Amino acid sequence: MMELYIDTHYTDLVIALLKNNKLIDKRVINSNKHSINTVNLLNEILKSNNIGIDDINLIIVINGPGSFTGVRIGVVIAKTIGYTKNISVKAISYLQALALNYNKEVIVGIRDRNGVFGGKFNKEHELIEDYFYLTNKEVESYKEEIIYSDLVDIEKVAMFLKNKDNINPHLLKPLYVKRIEVDHD
Amino acid sequence: MKDVYILAIESSCDETSMAIVKNGKEVVSLTIATQMDTHALYGGVVPEIASRMHTEAITLVLDDTLKKANMKIEDMDGIAVTCKPGLTGSLIVGIECAKTLALVYNKPLIGVNHLIGHIYANNIENDMEFPMLALIVSGGHTELVIMEDHYKFKRLGETLDDAIGEAYDKVARVIGLKYPGGPNVEKLALEGNDTYNLPKPVMDDTYNFSYSGLKSAIINLVHNSEQRKEEVRRADLAKSFQVVAIDELVRKVEKAFRETGIKRLVVAGGVSANKYLKEEMQKLCDKYQAELLIPKLLYCTDNAAMIGAAAYPLYLKKEFSDYSLNASSEGDIL
Repeated sequence: MMELYIDTHYTDLVIALLKNNKLIDKRVINSNKHSINTVNLLNEILKSNNIGIDDINLIIVINGPGSFTGVRIGVVIAKTIGYTKNISVKAISYLQALALNYNKEVIVGIRDRNGVFGGKFNKEHELIEDYFYLTNKEVESYKEEIIYSDLVDIEKVAMFLKNKDNINPHLLKPLYVKRIEVDHD
Repeated sequence: MKDVYILAIESSCDETSMAIVKNGKEVVSLTIATQMDTHALYGGVVPEIASRMHTEAITLVLDDTLKKANMKIEDMDGIAVTCKPGLTGSLIVGIECAKTLALVYNKPLIGVNHLIGHIYANNIENDMEFPMLALIVSGGHTELVIMEDHYKFKRLGETLDDAIGEAYDKVARVIGLKYPGGPNVEKLALEGNDTYNLPKPVMDDTYNFSYSGLKSAIINLVHNSEQRKEEVRRADLAKSFQVVAIDELVRKVEKAFRETGIKRLVVAGGVSANKYLKEEMQKLCDKYQAELLIPKLLYCTDNAAMIGAAAYPLYLKKEFSDYSLNASSEGDIL
């Protein structure tokens, strides 16, 4: 069982290969140029491990939240491979991936320039309230404790997703959380 | 020679489109998922919404395109994608899909300029012959170029400020027409007469265009009429605007016919769907016994078939892109 992990949600581009939920290779590029780097990095990791795309049994993709364009890059790649090659796809939010590090009820957060994305998870790591986004100002008056961390254990993610359903690649979409402001005409 | 099949992807603005094009000419299948109704709610294209809708549509459009052609990606000789100019967030969705397909199926990747795509829309059902004049008229561009051969361009002139399509959209807003402005101004103009005396764009002797003065004159005219509580004859204003805007294009093309001696004209870009423009260009071409090519309506607006057509000469020349292909909002054709 070979798994491909793709995370493009923020400044760290991470692509990893796992075999039976054990990490065999992991590549990271820290930049704001995911649109240039992601397919190149995917090519590189497959080649140097002598793996063809048809050897992959499952794609695990971080579907957000974070940079809108960044998240879309990973999601579009996962959708495209999943649909055309008929490879299973599973998606997980970066917040839930972080929550796997805690065996208690926890609110985890990740920061962007203007604020914090957050989610509250129970000790089984399931989301118990809707994801939220607080601006830096709103965070100051937020009553509950938010745990910030940036370390996802990819093997834990793969283990957690073992019992989760695949997602139809056509229906896979980014988790944006943050609203955009537009005026109605 | 073996037939060449190219899968082409276009996502530069508010249409997610894919096509399979054979030998740069035959459209085997074409799918266009438009977002126009959504953006109409906001009075114009909202870039972030466009990117989101492309992401949701992309594999569905691919599925539809392949099924209609009864073909598989394995059958393709290359994957073409619009990489510039356009909304970068939207372009990236098509580009990532194209790069992934190129990698996974080990196919050549061909990055295509959207404006050159519009020109090649004319090569789908007709044969472009060189040298020719190409007039590009769209929401972002107004340019007159000489095309000496495939991908050999020489610019005569371009807009110094607003593009003609942009002027149409702004005039539409000022006189209270809904998005998409251009087609709505054209429709209203049919009911009006050329009674307003509007300033002519550029009176100089270059090939350049300018539409901001004309646009400002209309904004001022509407504003002044409102202050004086006079009624604006909207249909007449739409007609008067259209006459000045299009006549300016005609004047510059006529100058090019006279000075270059070239007897072929292709019109490309969204505004080429405009009927008045077609009629006036036809009259001009008749006068100079020149050949006029304008794409059929389906290929005037954004579509992937034109990207497949424009990719074909690049495929033959093996001008391929690598996986670093990126989106750009700018995209000069020269």
